[in-house]
Amino acid sequence: MSTAKISARDVMVHYGDNCALKDVNVEIEDKTVTAFIGPSGCGKSTFLRCLNRMNDTIDGCRVAGAITLDGEDIYDKRVDPVQLRAKVGMVFQKPNPFPKSIYDNVAYGPRIHGLARTKAELDEIVEQSLRRAALWTEAKDRLHTPGTGLSGGQQQRLCIARAVATRPEVLLMDEPCSALDPIATAQIEELIDELRQNFSVVIVTHSMQQAARVSQKTAFFHLGNLVEYNETGKIFTNPQDPRTESYITGRIG
Amino acid sequence: MSDNNEHIMAAFDRDLDGIEALVVKMGGLVEVAIHDAAKAVATRDLELAEQVRTGDKAIDALEIQINEETARTLALRAPMSSDLRTLLTVLKIAAGLERAGDYARNLAKRTEALAALEPISGTDRTLRRMTAEVQQMLRNTLDAFVRRDIALAEQVRQHDEEVDEIYNALFREFLTFMMENPRNITACMHLHFIAKNVERMGDLTTNMAEQIIYMVSGELPGDLRPKGDQTAFMTGQD
Ligand SMILES: Nc1ncnc2c1ncn2[C@@H]1O[C@H](COP(=O)(O)OP(=O)(O)OP(=O)(O)O)[C@@H](O)[C@H]1O
Ligand SMILES: [Mg+2]
Repeated sequence: MSTAKISARDVMVHYGDNCALKDVNVEIEDKTVTAFIGPSGCGKSTFLRCLNRMNDTIDGCRVAGAITLDGEDIYDKRVDPVQLRAKVGMVFQKPNPFPKSIYDNVAYGPRIHGLARTKAELDEIVEQSLRRAALWTEAKDRLHTPGTGLSGGQQQRLCIARAVATRPEVLLMDEPCSALDPIATAQIEELIDELRQNFSVVIVTHSMQQAARVSQKTAFFHLGNLVEYNETGKIFTNPQDPRTESYITGRIG
Repeated sequence: MSDNNEHIMAAFDRDLDGIEALVVKMGGLVEVAIHDAAKAVATRDLELAEQVRTGDKAIDALEIQINEETARTLALRAPMSSDLRTLLTVLKIAAGLERAGDYARNLAKRTEALAALEPISGTDRTLRRMTAEVQQMLRNTLDAFVRRDIALAEQVRQHDEEVDEIYNALFREFLTFMMENPRNITACMHLHFIAKNVERMGDLTTNMAEQIIYMVSGELPGDLRPKGDQTAFMTGQD
């Protein structure tokens, strides 16, 4: 068996008649940060959603091919998508806090998965998660106010806190820093690097510098194809495909 | 520019073009310095030698300007891939050109000492031929840089062997002259330093050419060049 945490074989995704991804083959390694880059609409979010079956919830979306997590088919009938998503957590492109308090947003996952036995333990998880998402200082005095009352960047960090609270084995992050200032961005990048000690992280980002800073592997998508997948250092100093070169150097492809 | 398609952000192209123009300008000055220094030595032209020495300041100033503008572009544009390799190459070429300029100045400096000494027959012509080779190598290197021409850069690398051969031959000749007549020693020592400097210029140019191969292809040439200077093993007995 390979060391791949997630392995995708011939993945093809349609929205109705529209083909959004074709023939994607990739092995996502364990304890590694993998960056997905590529122009808007190329299918990065679509592919990310395949990895925790988030596309199941989208009408008209059809996923073909095989995706395994630790060698097990995640699209198998016996797999419970809710259990899967506890293992494969996700931070969405648009912050989507529940209409609940900041505390409850973070405590939600640990509660339903029974990760805390006592109130003190739950408090501890909430604080830890908010700290890791670089939101604790701003949120600690308003934990019981609505999450939706936070600023855009704060909501994004709340969603990150919520995602790490369940200690997923794989964390999928769709542009997690798009609304963050440089300090919060650096804190999230530090968090990602820390998560890598034990977990896999897949991050979609439009910032080449961010991909270069945080990831070890980078995948470049273009028009629904996975064009190039390699060591991040290689992709950014000497990509093999002219489409990758044009994209990362900011040229008209 | 580096590729036929342009950056979406035109200002980036202007920055890179500006830096490349500085490199070409610097290279042109070094070419002239090498030519003039060799000529000054051969004709014992003290005035021309002085011109080479003062001209080196302009070369040094250009290196500083190239370094500053490259650092600025690295910081402001965060270049990737071929753009990044271009800027790294620019830094190395500028450093190589600056060193080559120093060697030309060293050549020129010896003109005065040589003017006071008897000429050593034959070696002046060989020295000029050697310098002309290096000058041509440098010109080809700059062309290869501007045109992104790997084949031309490769040709420069091969050429360096010829320069090394001329140097090795000259070294033998100097030894012979010195053994024949000890009064030749002073002039031969000066001429030998000159030949060694020209040989080093050839090496620097070769390094620049290799850097250009990296810039264009993303890989440094794999096979190691033969080490040309064999004088470390010469004893004067053979
Ligand atoms: N829910 C949906 N229904 C129909 N088509 C969709 C849906 N989501 C995405 N698509 C289409 O699939 C393609 C890929 O979209 P996707 O969101 O995966 O792109 P992306 O690479 O994440 O882009 P961005 O960088 O803008 O987020 C697009 O053509 C898009 O229009
Ligand atoms: Mg997206």
